[in-house]
Amino acid sequence: MKQSTLIALVLAVTLWCLGDRLAAESPQYNRDIRPILSDKCFSCHGADSASRKADLRLDQRENAVEMGAITAGDLDASEMIQRILSDDPETLMPPPETKKALTAEEIETLTRWVEKGAEYQPHWSLIAPKKTQPSAVKDEAWIKNPIDRFVLSRLEAEGLAPAPEADALTLFRRLHLDITGLPPSPTDSQAFAIDYGRDTEAAMEAWIDRLMQRPTWGEHRARYWLDAARYGDTHGMHFDNYREMWPYRDWVIRAFNANQPFDQFTIEQIAGDMLPDPTDNQLIATGLQRCNITTNEGGTIDEENLAIYAADRVQTLGWIYLGVTTNCCQCHDHKFDPISMKDYYALAAFFRNTTQRAKDGNAKDGLGPVLVLPSDEDRPRWEEVPAEISAAEKVRDDRRSVAEPQFDTWLTEATPHSFEAGLFADQNILRLPLDEAEGDTIRSTSADTKKPNSHRSPVAPQWIEGGKFGKAPQLDEKSHFELGDLGRFEQDQPFSFGGWVKPLSKKNTGSILARIDQSNKDRGWDLWQNGNAFAVHLISEWPEKAIKTRVYQNRLQENQWQHVFATYDGSGKAGGVKIFLNGNQQPLLVEKDALPTDASIVAETPLRLGRRSDGAPFTGAVQDMRIYRRALYPREVKALANLPAIHQSLAQAQEPVAEVTDQEADPEQQKHNNAKKKARDEVFEHYLATLDGDFPALSRSVTDLQAEQAAIRNRSPMTHIQRERKDTPAMAHILMRGEYDKKGEQVTADTPAALHPMREGAPKNRLGLAGWLVDPANPLTARVTVNRFWQEIFGRGIVPTPEDFGVTGTLPSHGKLLDWLAIDFQQNGWDVKAFFKQMLMSHTYRQSAQTSEDKITVDRDNALLSRGPRFRMDAEMIRDYALASSGLLSDKMYGPSVRPYQPINIWDLVGLPGGNTRDYVQDAGEGLHRRTLYSFWKRMAPPPNLNAFNAPSREVCTVRRERTNTPLQALVTLNDPQFVETARKLAESALRNSKDTDSTAAYIAGRTLCRPLGDDERSIILGAHRDFLAHYRAAPDAANKLLAVGVTEPATGLDPAAVAAWTMVASEMFNLDEVLNK
Amino acid sequence: MLNLPEPMMHHRRSFFARSGHLLGGAAIAQLAAAAQVDASSGAHPAQGPHFTPKAKRVIYLHMVGGPSQMDLFDPKPVMHKWYDKDLPESVRMGQRLTTMTSGQSRFPIAPSKYKFHQVGECGMWMNKELLPNLARKADDICWMRSMHTEAINHEPAIAAMQTGNQITGRPCLGSWASYGLGTMNENLPTFVVLVAVPTNRDQEQAISSRLWSNGYLSGEHAGVSFRSKGDPILYINDPPGVSSSIRRRTIDDLNRLNAIAHARVGDPNTQTRMHQYEMAFRMQASVPELTDIASESAHTFELYGEDAKKPGTFANTALMARRLAERGVRFIQVYHNNWDHHGNLGGRMPYQCKDVDRPCYALLEDLEQRGMLDDTLVIWGGEFGRTIYSQGGLSKQNYGRDHHPRCFTMWMAGGGVRGGQIYGATDDFSYNIVEKPLHIRDFHATVLNLLGFDHERFSVKYQGLDQRLTGVLPAHVVPELLA
Repeated sequence: MKQSTLIALVLAVTLWCLGDRLAAESPQYNRDIRPILSDKCFSCHGADSASRKADLRLDQRENAVEMGAITAGDLDASEMIQRILSDDPETLMPPPETKKALTAEEIETLTRWVEKGAEYQPHWSLIAPKKTQPSAVKDEAWIKNPIDRFVLSRLEAEGLAPAPEADALTLFRRLHLDITGLPPSPTDSQAFAIDYGRDTEAAMEAWIDRLMQRPTWGEHRARYWLDAARYGDTHGMHFDNYREMWPYRDWVIRAFNANQPFDQFTIEQIAGDMLPDPTDNQLIATGLQRCNITTNEGGTIDEENLAIYAADRVQTLGWIYLGVTTNCCQCHDHKFDPISMKDYYALAAFFRNTTQRAKDGNAKDGLGPVLVLPSDEDRPRWEEVPAEISAAEKVRDDRRSVAEPQFDTWLTEATPHSFEAGLFADQNILRLPLDEAEGDTIRSTSADTKKPNSHRSPVAPQWIEGGKFGKAPQLDEKSHFELGDLGRFEQDQPFSFGGWVKPLSKKNTGSILARIDQSNKDRGWDLWQNGNAFAVHLISEWPEKAIKTRVYQNRLQENQWQHVFATYDGSGKAGGVKIFLNGNQQPLLVEKDALPTDASIVAETPLRLGRRSDGAPFTGAVQDMRIYRRALYPREVKALANLPAIHQSLAQAQEPVAEVTDQEADPEQQKHNNAKKKARDEVFEHYLATLDGDFPALSRSVTDLQAEQAAIRNRSPMTHIQRERKDTPAMAHILMRGEYDKKGEQVTADTPAALHPMREGAPKNRLGLAGWLVDPANPLTARVTVNRFWQEIFGRGIVPTPEDFGVTGTLPSHGKLLDWLAIDFQQNGWDVKAFFKQMLMSHTYRQSAQTSEDKITVDRDNALLSRGPRFRMDAEMIRDYALASSGLLSDKMYGPSVRPYQPINIWDLVGLPGGNTRDYVQDAGEGLHRRTLYSFWKRMAPPPNLNAFNAPSREVCTVRRERTNTPLQALVTLNDPQFVETARKLAESALRNSKDTDSTAAYIAGRTLCRPLGDDERSIILGAHRDFLAHYRAAPDAANKLLAVGVTEPATGLDPAAVAAWTMVASEMFNLDEVLNK
Repeated sequence: MLNLPEPMMHHRRSFFARSGHLLGGAAIAQLAAAAQVDASSGAHPAQGPHFTPKAKRVIYLHMVGGPSQMDLFDPKPVMHKWYDKDLPESVRMGQRLTTMTSGQSRFPIAPSKYKFHQVGECGMWMNKELLPNLARKADDICWMRSMHTEAINHEPAIAAMQTGNQITGRPCLGSWASYGLGTMNENLPTFVVLVAVPTNRDQEQAISSRLWSNGYLSGEHAGVSFRSKGDPILYINDPPGVSSSIRRRTIDDLNRLNAIAHARVGDPNTQTRMHQYEMAFRMQASVPELTDIASESAHTFELYGEDAKKPGTFANTALMARRLAERGVRFIQVYHNNWDHHGNLGGRMPYQCKDVDRPCYALLEDLEQRGMLDDTLVIWGGEFGRTIYSQGGLSKQNYGRDHHPRCFTMWMAGGGVRGGQIYGATDDFSYNIVEKPLHIRDFHATVLNLLGFDHERFSVKYQGLDQRLTGVLPAHVVPELLA
């Protein structure tokens, strides 16, 4: 309660001061009236037709006058005035229940406005900017460039004097931080100070140019843009897996370093893919539109996801270029700004016509359009291979045409046996057809033997109907077969085994095919029914020295036929075993993976069908069991599993063609013929793959080339890009109340009706949109952009709500300056470096940050620019600052993101099992000390030491960061190993490069404060050092522990206590308010 | 009061003295008091409640994934006759399903495999087999069987439950409490988040720091996550080799050096920085005591069980929640995962219940014994309920259930809630609500009421609108839930 009284009091005083000044001139709609109306009246009497009361609009003069709410100059005839003055709660406006009562001041302002004619103005940001001359200034000598004139005239009007110019070292530190994001080296500082002493203007010019030539310029500018672009290294939702996007980050850095004109920078990001014959860089640039967060959550609905993605792109566009918050219009017309739902969905339409999918597949390419960027080494092949694939496909397909008549001849006489002759023979050591249909004896063949062998069961099995190749034997405790000394495999030999199986019950266990000696610790191998799963054993001594792996997702189907086949690659590892069900490889659960390389698995017992040496019987039917002395390829296993179907197709393909004589074809016959045709095609494919002399090789050359292409793709960086769908124009449905499943009217892509139209003939697609954004007629793009640049330097935009130039945004503090800058920027060819240079050259910028209580009272936030910019640096700058000061900062640029120090448990707490960003593996070397711009950004768990300093999660576009001060920040800069390590490195190099305590302190100050110490400061620091030194001399263990923080080795040849003491001093210096501030 | 070094006090005095001509004596005193709060926490002063709050603090136990109401709190015995029969279309009424079951050819009913018992004076029917301890507290608890929401997938549903909106980026309940009521302990954060690790981790859902973000409120209202591994608060521990006396000295030196800079430049933010470091130091001093659960009595561990000694367990988390509450933390948000029982509910539910049953009982009992239950609001619940029909395979002993937003059960206790009542009812299928529907907006309005706020007036200006936790659609405080 007390707080609010206080606020009211402060407000009253402020208003009283302001009121006095404003009374002199008549109220202006944009400055004085609209803020009141939009706050108190527009929600019922504004642009939104759905919530409008009494059909009255107060945002349009015409309507307000027509409805009698306003009669210019006549208070009695103005119902609005009568209503706001009413003491009858029935007629009073705003109605008391809305709790939006007008203040006396507001009532007075509105009344005066109506009295003076009730003039409206369009909202300022929608009026095209004009280059106007600022009011004259008294102190002409202060003016260094046009910016100063605007600023000083305002200061003079407010009765404030600008601050004196900052001293050379302070100014240079500020310049250096603003241009490169890093603190200056002492050498540069000195050089600048000398130059500046000789010729102020020339020094400023030369050094600004010089610093802007450094590649760190692009890195620093890119960081701001990447916030706006919502760049991240993960998809952002659910699994939040890795997304490969960093080439886009590199592109942004390069674009700033090359000083790409901002209009071009914009066009390439909005529509690079639609430019004629786009370069790789122009495609990479479109990544701006692919940085939005995506999901792969199972239950989500594709249409809804796509609507959300488009909404995010519209919001980003609105915030980056138009300074308009569009998202309100997802559900209703904007309540304040002239943007309708139709406008909104027309904007969304630009971005919905993409080949991006609704789910990202948790894959790094997000299953959407990407650009693969092969290395210089791979690039020639990458470019040649597609043509080679087409050529190889043509040769293969030609062979297919040639083979077809031969096949048709062959087909007339083919039998299942002739069909299989010579097939599946390579290294086949056993085949049991198990199609004898009766008796106690079965026959076996192999590739090596011409004559079949026969084997007897102690008790004849029951032969059951419905086998895959006729009647099949059903094994049980009594019926099983010994097969002789076959399958004598050692663990380093590859082999494969399996066949058709129909287990009686999913509750049983037993060996289907085994060479296992139960009297010798189960040595050997087998195919095992493990209850409701199939499993494979490779055993030397059970259970200590063995491999066991089983299928765990697809359960065994009881009393049904299934093709089960295992391959083993001879690696001695569970990972070398694959199990296939019906030709499909299965995910396996490894139960044991402990086979020492010297442990034999050769069992001195015969191979058996249906049991092990002394039991473990299998109960169920079997057919076509095979063993190979090699690991079959997956496609071979698939072909084996496919054999029964092919047999059937062969039979079907050989049936006579039914004549279809009638015009009115007999549907039964048609169906029969279609089935026959399909069967014939299947057999033909099989024939080509297995019996044609040339086709397999030709086919393999295609797959080899495809594999080469895939391999290059896999080892190359990639980046998400935008691609327009070619088959549809850019369209969207209005979604009622924003709900994806309530589709309204269809709209074509278009720009908002209240803004300037697109150029005559401009295409209604992203290319047209890009042109519209940078059209000189666009009142917003240049303003919004220069305002953001201004904010980067001065800490606060001329419009302090850079995302919202609309009615609810804050009005510009220097509207004419903003317009002047916007036009100047455009007229200078959107030259970014020139624009920044102009800001940095201004006297406004060069002011000292020194303030006074008077200035704080009148201009607490420095909106009037009565002093130089001073504010806490962003998270990345703070970390980079420490790294640079200590000499640890790597100057490596570009490339994939790195993983610096991070406390344990940040990722896995939020990560899902199986997600590829669940375990944080910290880098070991240089990656710990790269510029923060290159740090890996997991959107669900952004770097915590940056997060503490208001770094955004990068889930959505951010054009303005919060700047809070919390104790958690102090904990980071005091205790984070990154900062402890940098303090130690700075201490070490200070000790190496100085001769006494004074010069050590000066060295540290030169790299943190970037200036010499004052006497009072020096005495505090030296006192601290003396006490720290005494402490660490007395506690050498503590010193060593402190020195051990971080991966860099402690310097040799230095006294650990001295290093520890200076480390603590350096840490103090890093934590000073002056150092943490720009 | 803060133990501030002399130069700073001097500055503050001189500043206010010189402002005197503008404001007058009383105002200065208030301004000074406000600045004290302001600067010491580096934060804006709290809004203050609209009326006297019944609950001073909240412990919110969120069961991530959506617990099955008909297997725990909302028995439907008649369903046994419906085993494996299709859910009638007249019940389902064609409403939205997740894409996980929308493709299912049929919706066979899975009756709960559990036996239910009637417990307490209030006569609550619940799963006493899996929740025997919680059952003992039935008469302290307000059982809400008619909760409902619109969201059907986890991310949006959790967001809706926590922030009142399915779209992320809004402030959560804890942030609103922090914004509205401010801190009760200058040495600890106002809003703390604890993530418990479930025993069974078969099907966890993603939970990220966006859930406890401050949205459009200012950054100091974000939840601070206390961790069970490593430092309890990130970077809270001094580096190895840095003792507390050395740290104190660092802070003193910083204060003196910052004071010099402040005298030269005059930026008030420098003073804020000094307070920020003082507060950090105090936090460093108080957290070890906070997390040292070894100091708890044997009685405590009898109550919570031995698991409470294991960092990261739900029992440990519940005990930590009590310790935080005791020390004046305003809002404690606990997450317990793996309640998303699409399959193998019978196999997984016992683990889930074992994790939470005794600690929930212990927490209520413990708060009561300490005389804190009256002004501590305890909330338990997930983001939605589950379907009566089975997802995937169905047997009498095992089944899975899909997400169901149309009805689910939550409970509250303490903090001005009327315990020992069962609010709302669902139909025989626990599919639709037949009595006293309780939308999450109403739930939010009621919680805010307990915290002393009129939800319609409790707003913040953002993007030109008065943003509220309860949004723009109608929301109502439910008087029956209040004591």
